[in-house]
Amino acid sequence: MKLSNHLRENLRRLRAVYSDCADVVFHDMVIGGHTPAMLVYIEGLIRLEELDQHVVAPLRDGPGPNPALQDIRNQTTVASVQTCGTIEETVEKISGGNPVLLVEGQNAALVFGLSSWEQRSVEEPTAESVLRGPREGFIETMRTNIAMLRRKIRSPKLKVVTLHIGTCSRTPVAVIYIEGIAQPSLVREIMSRLNRIEIEDVLETSYIEEWIEDNRYSPFPQLLSTERPDVASAYLMEGRVVVMVDGTPTVLVAPATFFSLLQTPEDYYERYVVGTAIRWLRYFFLAISLLGPSLYVAVVSFHQEMIPTTLMLTMARSREQIPFSALMEAILMETMFEALREAGARLPKQIGSAVSIVGALVIGQAAISAGIVSAPMVMVVAITGIASFMAPRFTIGIPIRLLRFPIMFLAGMMGLLGMILGVIIILNHMLNLRSFGVPYMSPLAPMKNSGLKDVLWRAPRWMLNRRGKR
Amino acid sequence: MRRKRKDMLANGRRTAPAFLSLLVCAFLLAGCWNAREVNDLAIITATGVDLTEDGQIELSVKIYLTSPSGSGSMSGQPDGNKGTSVVRSVTGINMADAASRLQKKISRKVFWGQTDVFLFGERMARAGLEEPLDFLLRHTASRERAHVFVSESTAKNVLLLSPSIERSVADALVHMAEQQTGLNITMMDLAQMLISKSKAAVLPIVLITSGQGEQESFPYIQGVAAIKNGRMIGQMNENATRGVMWLRNEIRQATVTVSPEQSDGYVSLHLHRNHTRLIPKIEGGRWIMTVRITGQDDVVENTTDLDLSVPDHIGKVEKELEKVVNTRVKMALELAQKEYNADVFQFADTFYRKYPKIWEANADRWDEIFPEVEVRLETDLRIARPGLIGKNFFRQEQR
Repeated sequence: MKLSNHLRENLRRLRAVYSDCADVVFHDMVIGGHTPAMLVYIEGLIRLEELDQHVVAPLRDGPGPNPALQDIRNQTTVASVQTCGTIEETVEKISGGNPVLLVEGQNAALVFGLSSWEQRSVEEPTAESVLRGPREGFIETMRTNIAMLRRKIRSPKLKVVTLHIGTCSRTPVAVIYIEGIAQPSLVREIMSRLNRIEIEDVLETSYIEEWIEDNRYSPFPQLLSTERPDVASAYLMEGRVVVMVDGTPTVLVAPATFFSLLQTPEDYYERYVVGTAIRWLRYFFLAISLLGPSLYVAVVSFHQEMIPTTLMLTMARSREQIPFSALMEAILMETMFEALREAGARLPKQIGSAVSIVGALVIGQAAISAGIVSAPMVMVVAITGIASFMAPRFTIGIPIRLLRFPIMFLAGMMGLLGMILGVIIILNHMLNLRSFGVPYMSPLAPMKNSGLKDVLWRAPRWMLNRRGKR
Repeated sequence: MRRKRKDMLANGRRTAPAFLSLLVCAFLLAGCWNAREVNDLAIITATGVDLTEDGQIELSVKIYLTSPSGSGSMSGQPDGNKGTSVVRSVTGINMADAASRLQKKISRKVFWGQTDVFLFGERMARAGLEEPLDFLLRHTASRERAHVFVSESTAKNVLLLSPSIERSVADALVHMAEQQTGLNITMMDLAQMLISKSKAAVLPIVLITSGQGEQESFPYIQGVAAIKNGRMIGQMNENATRGVMWLRNEIRQATVTVSPEQSDGYVSLHLHRNHTRLIPKIEGGRWIMTVRITGQDDVVENTTDLDLSVPDHIGKVEKELEKVVNTRVKMALELAQKEYNADVFQFADTFYRKYPKIWEANADRWDEIFPEVEVRLETDLRIARPGLIGKNFFRQEQR
């Protein structure tokens, strides 16, 4: 609806919109001693001092009678001033934290870019810490986050497209990409998927993630998420697209592949020999984290001849007093471990140490002496635990440790055969998966030789720099 | 039309979960039907087969005790060596019969998958190994990599021992065999030898030290049993065993002590990088086998008056060494060719590989040919590292 020429009419509508909104301030003022006007803003979302100094004060003795909107605008000393002509736009601006000036006789309002609110300072992201490399992390304010990216990539080719998602929350969302590197079709596809979202609020990027991913039933994440500006910029330089949501430090990167989820920034910050070795270690432990307990269960309850004799005899001895089957034992212990991990993650830091003390009892010597589990099983659980913590991102660690359980069942029922069956099913799913048109397992399947040098090993930088077609 | 499709879709949505749950049920109901928990197994570490007086087979197994009574160790550490294993034996008309009777006597499932040692009593070996071998090779769980021995006394007696150094008698025998100071024959080697062209095999013999009490008596490997057509036909002593091992290219490391002519005292040499090549040749009806033995030696002891930094003296010791090795090889050849007529060196296969047609033509005459095969020894053992000490320090009268 268009703004009317009458201030009173406009105010009536705005007050109706903001009824029972105690934090919305209607500041009555008179411009230049003649023209009545109203400054509308939300308390706490604006820079009040600057508003006083640069808008209210100059306008008090402002232009003469019947000023044009342009005159009023020129009278203020604010750099960012916009005009808007509809009620809806006005409401949006006010809700976004911009003070709006409505003037009698004008069918347009002035919007001052003086929004500001309390925000967390830039800190090192705790979930993605590095030993070497930048220590800054994204914060909850999108403006600051975009600025961080812009500081890393100072090219005008870094494009930022914003839109609002959430019928109620009207959360600003930015799509960021580098023109000329990102495929235009990819950007178009992301934009169109974002536009299709029908939700009321976006409190976290995961709200968006679940809407725009290709396979909604897959346990695997099909978008990368990161809190690190350096990681986001690296992906931008690879031609991926970053989706940023105001109010959360986590940004999304699309498309994601399985192997990109297994990378850490330090793979690239360390020397490539070290990076390669650590990457191999990570792949190996990823497999252990998925298959460790299943392998143990399968071998202990079906394929005893596979175990070296000496180990077999020791294991037989330690399993002698155990009332449960290997499968039961494994499920019991793995569930215990997951419960401990979850309990530890949710507890306040002060109580956290209590969990580790109890945990050491549950998964440790005490459990063995109590005759509930065998010593080898505790070892297996411990190794699997370490392995699952090796997953560089939480999002890829979770599906792996979740899928461990069905495979454990299969291994307990059919031995190695069942285990392999489980792996085949998972691999089959992963090979079918796509993230924004990119096969999930690429560049391994379909095989792309140019991409393999960043998957099978971490090639030195001078080999990586040539950006091939992905 | 459209409606029908919609119905079908709806149907599919309803049936898919049902189908899935049936699938899951199929797995769950089948359960862990052939799962064997480790604590339901009787783990056999060694098996002995004997022939009783009345021609029956006595099958003895050494079962590892996973729950020794009294010492309630739950941490999985075996406590001490004593009483960790038990021997059970049964008799039956053949192996399969005995094995099924064995299961009746043992409360747990008999598990053959970890059996590392198969022992045959000498009487059993002389009567023939075809029957037990057929069972053991057919058996899905028994290992082809298990070690096979012939025991001079009954196999059961060997199993009853518990040597103090190792966890069990099986470990002791396996480790002794793997040191390769004697022959090291696995089930697979034995099977391959028995089905080879020569139809002859050798097995290491296990003896028991005649000590008093459990503590002192332990098994050891000495000598070999010559086996032909599945039957043991004789045994060879320690020196002939070395000869057999030379001819079979199985000497890895050895220490040989020689006494060179015209000098008192001994020179001991450590042999390694040994290799034996068999080169067959058929020349106008004469079957000739050239045996080329090469190796390098270190001097480990020298108590003679020879100065081993002098090449001439080295040559003298080398010649003596070759003589010693040749003596052993000849001893083995003499026994195998003349006394037992058992081609335990697999000469037949060597000939067959080079002259397949001639061999085929003479295949049934091999028993006549083998004793007449002319063996030419070409031994070339070199002292590669005489060391920095040439002479013996304490001998004044150096040459």
